[in-house]
Amino acid sequence: MKFIFNLTRREIRSSWRRLLFFFLCIALGVGSVVALRSLIQNLTKVVGNDARALMTADVDISSTNEFTPTDIGKIEAVIAKYGSVEARNETIVTALMARAAEPANDSIEFIELKGIEPPFPLVGSFTLSDGQPFDFKLLQNNGAVLAKSLVDDLKVKVGDKIKIGEGEFQVRAFFDEEPGGTSGFRLGARVFVEKKAFDSAGITRTSGRVRRRILYRTSDNPTALVKELREAVKGSAIQVSSYREQQENLSDQFTRTENYLSLTGLLILVLGGVGVWNVARAFVEQKRKTVAVLKCLGASGNRVITVYLLQIVTLGLIGSLFGVFLAQAGLWIARWKFIDALPAKMSYAVNFTAAYQGVILGVLISMLFSTLPLLQIRTIKPKLLLRDENNVNISKLDWTKWAFGVVCLAILLGLAVWQAGSLTVGAFFLGGLAATAAVLYSSAIVLTWLLKKTKGISSFSIRQAINSLYRPGNQTRIILLAVGLGAFVVLAVQAMQTNLVREFDFTRNQRLPSLIFVDIQKSQIDELGKMVADATGEDPEQVPTVRARIAFVNGEPIDYQQREIKQQQGQIGREFAITYRDKLEVNDKVIAGNWWNGEAARSASDVPDVSVEESMANTLHVTAGDSITFDISGRKITARVASVRRIDVRNARTAFVFVFRPGPLDKAPQSYAATVLRHLPETDRTHLQRAVLDKFPNVQIFDVDDIIDAVNKLINNFVIAVSFVGSFVLLSGIMILIGSVALTKSQRIYENAIMKTLGARRRTLAAILFAEYGLLGLLAGIIATAFATGLSWVVCVYLMDIEWSFDPLLTLAGVFVTAALVTIVGVAAGFDVLFRKPLATLRSQ
Amino acid sequence: MIQLKNVTKTVRSGTEDLTILDDVSFEIPDGQFVAVTGASGSGKSTLLGLIAGLDAPSSGGIFIDEDEITKISEDGLAHIRSEKIGFVFQSFHLIPSLTAYENILIPMEILGLPDVGRRADRLLEAVDLTNRGHHYPAELSGGEQQRVAIARAFANRPKILLADEPTGNLDTKNGQHIFELMKDLHNKNDVTLILVTHDAMLAGQAQRQIILTDGRVSSDERK
Repeated sequence: MKFIFNLTRREIRSSWRRLLFFFLCIALGVGSVVALRSLIQNLTKVVGNDARALMTADVDISSTNEFTPTDIGKIEAVIAKYGSVEARNETIVTALMARAAEPANDSIEFIELKGIEPPFPLVGSFTLSDGQPFDFKLLQNNGAVLAKSLVDDLKVKVGDKIKIGEGEFQVRAFFDEEPGGTSGFRLGARVFVEKKAFDSAGITRTSGRVRRRILYRTSDNPTALVKELREAVKGSAIQVSSYREQQENLSDQFTRTENYLSLTGLLILVLGGVGVWNVARAFVEQKRKTVAVLKCLGASGNRVITVYLLQIVTLGLIGSLFGVFLAQAGLWIARWKFIDALPAKMSYAVNFTAAYQGVILGVLISMLFSTLPLLQIRTIKPKLLLRDENNVNISKLDWTKWAFGVVCLAILLGLAVWQAGSLTVGAFFLGGLAATAAVLYSSAIVLTWLLKKTKGISSFSIRQAINSLYRPGNQTRIILLAVGLGAFVVLAVQAMQTNLVREFDFTRNQRLPSLIFVDIQKSQIDELGKMVADATGEDPEQVPTVRARIAFVNGEPIDYQQREIKQQQGQIGREFAITYRDKLEVNDKVIAGNWWNGEAARSASDVPDVSVEESMANTLHVTAGDSITFDISGRKITARVASVRRIDVRNARTAFVFVFRPGPLDKAPQSYAATVLRHLPETDRTHLQRAVLDKFPNVQIFDVDDIIDAVNKLINNFVIAVSFVGSFVLLSGIMILIGSVALTKSQRIYENAIMKTLGARRRTLAAILFAEYGLLGLLAGIIATAFATGLSWVVCVYLMDIEWSFDPLLTLAGVFVTAALVTIVGVAAGFDVLFRKPLATLRSQ
Repeated sequence: MIQLKNVTKTVRSGTEDLTILDDVSFEIPDGQFVAVTGASGSGKSTLLGLIAGLDAPSSGGIFIDEDEITKISEDGLAHIRSEKIGFVFQSFHLIPSLTAYENILIPMEILGLPDVGRRADRLLEAVDLTNRGHHYPAELSGGEQQRVAIARAFANRPKILLADEPTGNLDTKNGQHIFELMKDLHNKNDVTLILVTHDAMLAGQAQRQIILTDGRVSSDERK
């Protein structure tokens, strides 16, 4: 053992520089695993473990409808049975426009208004921006407490007044983080008012977009209470949940996210493993004579393998520990990049569990990927000291190697399953990775073969560069695989972003309104229409809307216990804005049944006809000929499903789920919606919105630009996050490239020495170097962009169901940026070779 | 005692078999200094490799003392080499990542000998490299490297020293120095020395000279 430890120590001392890239590959991979796991675990700590504070209660009963006295009676009857209920409050939430009351301040902003009543919050605390605890008195007598961002957006300060709906509120305080606030998607900033202010400001009239909540704090586990409440409100659209379920859901979501992110980390680590394999292979090749000498001096093959395996494990361990430091650096970068999207109280320290798991993974990956190359040591015979047998093919596989290969693969599968937390996902990950690697590797073989077959290249440098790609021990295919994979991930994300952003690019939809006005009373529609026409030069399209809920489907109440319906309980149970018209919109297509035609249809039947949007028809399991009963202001109207429509949202001006045949709803209580297509400059748009709201405060206005901005922000955050991870994959590829350049350096030095002896100038050699890495980068870029384009097509068309189009600019940029990157890195790593004196090189050979 | 009985070594060269050693038989008693000479390609180095167990003959038997080394596993051969055989190569074959001192330590550490540091110091002194022990092979001249190789070969006090053209890569002065050193160590330690050389003058100083011609023993002269 003394021999093994001593030689290991000495070998590390002399070889660590050569194995630096091995070390960095592992460090980078472990760094990714530890950083991603820590990030999500820290996030879980802040958000996931405090579901009570997130819900601000223990039990949450919510509905998009007003709670009827019957509902309340049922709920109170259950609550009365449980002595554990300590406190109760109600909240009400909706999204709408707020504007500064000061005439000189024309700011207008989309907000999410929450009406609350004391005690609030039932669970957790609420601290204001000035550090004072929230006091309900702040909201009394038309007070409002606003999210800090509205200081700039609405240009208001404490004491100023803002108008929301028909009400006027005084700004009493601001807050940085609200109780129950998450980093989830939200259209506008939060504003708190008294719950009863919703009625006084006329906001509850737009009850279709309002969600009401009854919240309870309990002193005991609320599971039984929730079960009984659920039973009590069965058959209604009321949803009941407990913080425990929310915690379980959150915990599941975080575990899934953590596992997927860990797989991404494992992908980077496996790429690092490819680097390790590459370095170990070259290392064994370089150590052949040393191994032969050791065997000649009496060391057995196993002892020599043990020496080098110990060396790899030691370096793997040090690399892994360095990876933990890199992870900490990565977390600091994440804080710098995503501070706005992540909770304020989140820790950015490396998590201990993640760190030790990362170190174990790093050491195991080092061993797994170096075992096969190290087994080659067995085949090195001491007789090579008597004869130079450098060109003997040592890559011949034997059964032991095959057996070890299978064991390594099984362990790798075990690691993938461990990281994914699922056998299926782990197996798919490994299979997918193997398939991607095989496809990229095959493409690399085909492309380099084609390059070799290219005839008639007059440039000496390019001919030599092509030859260099084939020099013995070349790393061409490995580099193409590694760099190609990294660039592939980054480019695929970019390609998907381009298509996603295009999907939400309203300028492509000529029929997408720029402003949508809803809840317009019949008495207001003409004047509002004139105001809008004056401001925009366009007569707004006016659509009558009637508010209705689904009561029965084919005479039966909706079964909310059905899994798919339960998932969409809020959607189905809500109040719908329905309309009636005689013509089919240009973006509508009837896919089942028939559309009624013109005036003749009005008197064709006494039974009202309704046309249903395709996905709703699927959810409700209805098709042409079925019936749906609607509740319109307490009156039940049963309609026959005349047709099912597919709405092309890409070309939509309005998209109504239910459209009635004209006639039956003519006399129903209705309001109007108005839309304009013309896109006004932002200032004019704001002026128009201010003017309309000042005149008709009950009207709700949706500025499509604001919605698109919010969606784009969401897409951008997603893309930045994925690109951030993708860039680590690319960095791994680059690391392998640098490592490969270093591995083939001695051969390049020798070739250059011969070239110089034969009269080649430094400029010629530099041209060969540039051409070699330029070609390599070009091939990597072509492979990466080709597969990225393919993947983005599959994801867009089959997974996201959005329109996909080829982006030539991105493709060209992808190819050339990859080529430039590889050229710069390759040339920088090998440039010093040009300055070596040939004599010293040739003497040492 | 080293015994070779009808040793033949054939290798595949392209599509043909090439006979390098053809039915070679001889015995070398303990402590003898034997020079093996012959033209390039006559099989000298192959013969030395077979005696060291670095390669196996195609047929025939090789005995070192009572052990028929042709029937011993690779690890068993390694152990025999470690205990009984020292080897000096024309190209020195020092481990470039280790210092001169560490190169000398290696065979002793493989065998698990105690107090190896002091013996390495003595060996460095014996080859007149006391102050060069901390240098890496690349920092030493050819003559110095070969002296380190000789010290390494004697580290485990082998019974047999095999030297494959040890002066071939050295100038005359250094070559002579190395030869004298080996002869001196051979005399002092009663070691069997088998020296493969092209140099007739060096071969002439051996107690016995075996000449190989086309893989066969064409002459075996004792003085």
